[in-house]
Amino acid sequence: MAFFSRSILWRIIDLIVGGIFIYAGAIKAMDPIRFGLDIDNYKILPWAISVRLAFYLPWLEILAGLALIFRFLYRGGLLILSALLLIFLCATVAAKVRGLDITCGCFGHASQHWSFSQHLAVDLAILAAAVFLWVSERSRLRSSRASGGLALQGSRGTKEKL
Amino acid sequence: MKPGAIRQALILITLAVLPALGEAVYFRNKVSWQSRLSASEIVTVDQARSWSNGVTWVDARPAEEFEHDHIPGAILLNEDSWNELLPQFLEQWSPEKRVVVYCSAQSCNAAAEVARRLRQEAGLNNVFVLQGGWESWQQANR
Repeated sequence: MAFFSRSILWRIIDLIVGGIFIYAGAIKAMDPIRFGLDIDNYKILPWAISVRLAFYLPWLEILAGLALIFRFLYRGGLLILSALLLIFLCATVAAKVRGLDITCGCFGHASQHWSFSQHLAVDLAILAAAVFLWVSERSRLRSSRASGGLALQGSRGTKEKL
Repeated sequence: MKPGAIRQALILITLAVLPALGEAVYFRNKVSWQSRLSASEIVTVDQARSWSNGVTWVDARPAEEFEHDHIPGAILLNEDSWNELLPQFLEQWSPEKRVVVYCSAQSCNAAAEVARRLRQEAGLNNVFVLQGGWESWQQANR
């Protein structure tokens, strides 16, 4: 029963994190030029790379979000989302340290007026959820391996009896 | 980390190229691929002042900063209140004057964004961004 309710909790978190990234990706995919300007504001990459990333990253976010929701290429999706979150967190902190006044562009116009601490809080919350999903995925794999091993032992035992 | 996760991630990374390429082809003529603003879109304070027909200055900064100080005759038009301010701007806009948008400094994004929206949404052609923004105006007027 406890395992069942835990599984439901994991699925809910999958859906929330996946949904957030699909939403964020879709908003940016609809206006890639604006997203390019947002990336360029971080003053980390030259414009030629920023604008190309602006066309690519939203689709990567959407696909990784879908991977979480449909549990297809699940660990790959989770790995990409975690990496994106980490990169984004580092870029935001670096921009703050360098005194840049930027809009992050993470959720299009919706996040335009977020303060640095609000950005940080949202990113850390999503990162915490991603870490939770990694941990739960590992324990799920471990328990399925253990139950597979038990089943194998059981079938061996039956054969021996026969 | 299992190698399976990396392999799966590589598949997703590859798959994402396809829609991105499609979108890039769709936008190919609407994007400046080599520089954030093409050289023809940027003007200096001196260039703008030299235009004989005059300039319609557009202040893309937040309303509080505009109220505190702005270029004489500038019209407030920012993204915070775009829908309310655009009709007011269009009432004062005259087609023979070039429009120059500015925000607070070189690093700000608002002027480029407002200029882009004026071109795309309002269909204006002669829209430029002031290099260095409000800071450069102040320096030029010291």
